[in-house]
Amino acid sequence: MNKNLMYDVVVIGGGPAGMAAAIESYNQGAKTLLIERNEKLGGILNQCIHNGFGLQYFNEELTGPEYALRFVELLSKTKVDVLLNTFVIDINGLNVTIINEKGQTVVQAKAIVLAMGCREKTPAGIMLTGSRPVGVYTAGQVQKMVNIHGKLPGKNCVILGSGDIGLIMARRLTYEGAKVLEVLEIMPESGGLKRNIVQCLNDNNIPLKLKHTVTRVVGNTRIEGVYVAEVDGFTPKLETEKFVKCDCLILSVGLIPEVDLVKNLKLNPKTGGADVNEFRETNISGIFSCGNVLHVHDLVDNVTYESKLAGTNAAKYALGKLTHKKPFNVVAGNGIRYVSPSFGYMSEKEDLMIYFRLSSRITKSYICVKCGENEIYSKFVLAANAGEMQKIQIEKSKINGDLTVLVRGQ
Amino acid sequence: MNYDVAIIGGGIVGCAILNKLTRKNLKVVLIEKGNDVAVGASKANSSIIHAGFDCKPNTLKAKFNVRGNELTFKLAKELSVPIKQCGALVVGNDLNMVNELFNRGKANGVKGLHILNREQLLTKVPKLNENITCGLFAETSGITSAYLLTIALAEEAVINGAEVKFNTKIKKCVKNDFGYNLIADNLNINAKYVINSAGASYNEVAKILGTEQHEIEFRRGEYFLLDSNIEPLTNLTIFPLPSKFSKGVLITPTVHGQTIVGPTSYESDNTTITTVDGLNEIKEKAVNIIKDIPFNKNIRNFSGVRTICGDDFIVEKSTKKQNIINLAGICSPGLTAAPAIAEYVAENLLGFNNADKKMKKRVPYTCLHDLNEAERNKLIKRNPDYGKIICKCECVSLGEIKEALNSPLKPNSVDAIKRRVRAGMGRCQGGFCLTKVIKTISENLNISEDEVVKENKGSNFYVSNINPKK
Ligand SMILES: Cc1cc2nc3c(=O)[nH]c(=O)nc-3n(C[C@H](O)[C@H](O)[C@H](O)COP(=O)(O)OP(=O)(O)OC[C@H]3O[C@@H](n4cnc5c(N)ncnc54)[C@H](O)[C@@H]3O)c2cc1C
Ligand SMILES: Cc1cc2nc3c(=O)[nH]c(=O)nc-3n(C[C@H](O)[C@H](O)[C@H](O)COP(=O)(O)OP(=O)(O)OC[C@H]3O[C@@H](n4cnc5c(N)ncnc54)[C@H](O)[C@@H]3O)c2cc1C
Repeated sequence: MNKNLMYDVVVIGGGPAGMAAAIESYNQGAKTLLIERNEKLGGILNQCIHNGFGLQYFNEELTGPEYALRFVELLSKTKVDVLLNTFVIDINGLNVTIINEKGQTVVQAKAIVLAMGCREKTPAGIMLTGSRPVGVYTAGQVQKMVNIHGKLPGKNCVILGSGDIGLIMARRLTYEGAKVLEVLEIMPESGGLKRNIVQCLNDNNIPLKLKHTVTRVVGNTRIEGVYVAEVDGFTPKLETEKFVKCDCLILSVGLIPEVDLVKNLKLNPKTGGADVNEFRETNISGIFSCGNVLHVHDLVDNVTYESKLAGTNAAKYALGKLTHKKPFNVVAGNGIRYVSPSFGYMSEKEDLMIYFRLSSRITKSYICVKCGENEIYSKFVLAANAGEMQKIQIEKSKINGDLTVLVRGQ
Repeated sequence: MNYDVAIIGGGIVGCAILNKLTRKNLKVVLIEKGNDVAVGASKANSSIIHAGFDCKPNTLKAKFNVRGNELTFKLAKELSVPIKQCGALVVGNDLNMVNELFNRGKANGVKGLHILNREQLLTKVPKLNENITCGLFAETSGITSAYLLTIALAEEAVINGAEVKFNTKIKKCVKNDFGYNLIADNLNINAKYVINSAGASYNEVAKILGTEQHEIEFRRGEYFLLDSNIEPLTNLTIFPLPSKFSKGVLITPTVHGQTIVGPTSYESDNTTITTVDGLNEIKEKAVNIIKDIPFNKNIRNFSGVRTICGDDFIVEKSTKKQNIINLAGICSPGLTAAPAIAEYVAENLLGFNNADKKMKKRVPYTCLHDLNEAERNKLIKRNPDYGKIICKCECVSLGEIKEALNSPLKPNSVDAIKRRVRAGMGRCQGGFCLTKVIKTISENLNISEDEVVKENKGSNFYVSNINPKK
């Protein structure tokens, strides 16, 4: 095997997750390679030209590309090897098969960090029915068309799903002279960030119709419109069906971690990403995961914190410095949709960082962590949406068994 | 321009005839209203090469199916189109009906039929529903890609002298000394013979030609297409026992490693929509064959429309107009039957009994996905474009897309590229590659990105530029 193709740590994906992981891995003294399929680093941030990145991590409001640039600069000060325009097409054990203009080859790693981000749910993912004309896109596709290619896909748009990308695109399209007729959300509350609903929809007088969905798409060559109906649970009430004329339907109905490359990865059914321990290590020993490929994040700052953890621990693993002793479980209790990680080790001294999402909106409640019968953490919350990811940090000295994260009243 | 034969409609039937008549050394032109071949029923079906056991004996369907099965496997290999004789099962719990199918098959001359009990069925498909007790196994059934086969038939014909006119609709047909003068907005030609293979639009074309009208009924079939990364359900095609209207909701692997579940059979108009009822019906019926089907791994719903004229195909010489051939009601098993229909039209109806000429071979598309590491490296060394991946799900390179753009039919739409090299066919459905494919088409055909279309005329993706000053 070519010596040049052997690394302590190989990081797959050069978005914010991959960059942070690679930098930390290098800081731990590991020989590190970062692989990115696009011609530049930054991942999804490159198409997010709006503000709102880095408020926590940098205490500043940056655009997506600006946030990415900070890490590109940090990375350039390290000796991390970076391969651009290079696709990882297979991961087999700790062997990573790559393909680029020079050909196909295998890179051998002692540890791998998965940082491939996510993909968008497609019309098939929500069983959208009717015809299949031009003019039906996912929000990320439209974001790429507008922000990267400088093209408008429609002038009268309906947005299905109130995920953040959809909300951001509602504002963006309005700025570019398109009309966003309405945003439809099947759930009784929006999954998007509060600030996005205010700034993107309310400020532009775009109606958000909760408990509504598209029942069918109309139009042969081009989309001519959609039928919209109120729902009862998830079932459309057909008597409320109304035709809305439009030339573009934009889907913002969810993101799916891009885990397909890795075989035999144990997944968390709630997140669609890997099930990990506190090191962000998957069931496959030596394979770590962070960012949107682990679970979909709404704030890039959280991606960065999580990825630094994964990068550090991947390096420690590669250098033989990681111990896995005295495991304990972390489980989602009452009011919690999922927690990540799902288990930790008492032998590890670092604080335990838990990310989680709520099952639904809460007001005036406590978020607590119980260890056995003891409540070892509690925080009062005035109000929090299900759409916003939560994060808590627990000192290891307080842990002597399995943990449950839960919501309780007074 | 003068031609021996003009064919109207470029589905599998029109293209099989184009190919056959080119082999007979005739000057042939195909006239298609769409922007590519295989844009009608031939792009949305189950792509099964049926064995022929369920057609009523002594019908054209039975005759052309059994002959077509044999010809299709031969043709697909010659044309380097993916095809697999994986066999098919018809399963249920009515042994009488299984016996009847077996006997019908025998009467139709189908070889390789076997009646199996549950134990024997389980060795072929371990996941069969527990209610299934018996079935018929047909060795000669197989799977292909209907649109790739259609494209390949047309490509080989074009390489050997045939012509194809896209975006062309004949408006007038006048008898003249040569034969017929056919006039469209963008075309004015003469042909000695005219063939109506316009599928669902048979009557519309017949009206212009002045030939027989036939009573046509449409039945739509909807589908699920499941991701290639699911745990395989079956490696052969499985049908339920057939009903009066259709062969039922089947489960089959595709030649590209995905799984198809469907179709329904609803009376409909000629539009390829999908419906909530239709998709739910598929879910309900398919579990009678295999219980746990991961419908959450659905990557595409689609539908196709069957054109039906009574109980049989209509393959006839017009009695109203000399030297015009009517092809109507070519529903299932029309894909399988197409080469046999073409042979019959060329040799029996038109009387060209001369031996087929030797054809220049078509070059199959490079498929990076199917190559091993050494082959890929050789290819990328020759042309680095093959190392630039554009479609992540199906692993399609820039080199392959450029190759398709330069292929014999000169396709120019995103869907035409998708059919040829599979860019956008995978689980993200073009979420990742669509804008890149649009850009590649624009750069290589020297047209603006605004002019790039999804499929037919008018299906442009972009409506305007973003004001750069904003
Ligand atoms: C539209 C949108 C708006 C957002 N708005 C905000 C906001 O306002 N504020 C905020 O804080 N956060 C926001 N976020 C969230 C945050 O930016 C993302 O969660 C974060 O960028 C995810 O980072 P990542 O590195 O995990 O994934 P990505 O940024 O998606 O990076 C993944 C990288 O991996 C590469 N890759 C994938 N597969 C392969 C492979 N096989 N081989 C090689 N490379 C590969 C990809 O090309 C990509 O560069 C937004 C997210 C989106 C999508
Ligand atoms: C749901 C479904 C499942 C099926 N499954 C199978 C199967 O598994 N196996 C099998 O053997 N068969 C199957 N079939 C049948 C098979 O798909 C059809 O028999 C076959 O595709 C018909 O081909 P065609 O060329 O007659 O029609 P088409 O493919 O519809 O071609 C007609 C062409 O004519 C063009 N056209 C129309 N009007 C004009 C005009 N005025 N001028 C120029 N061009 C015109 C159209 O654009 C089109 O390209 C299935 C059919 C359906 C609908």
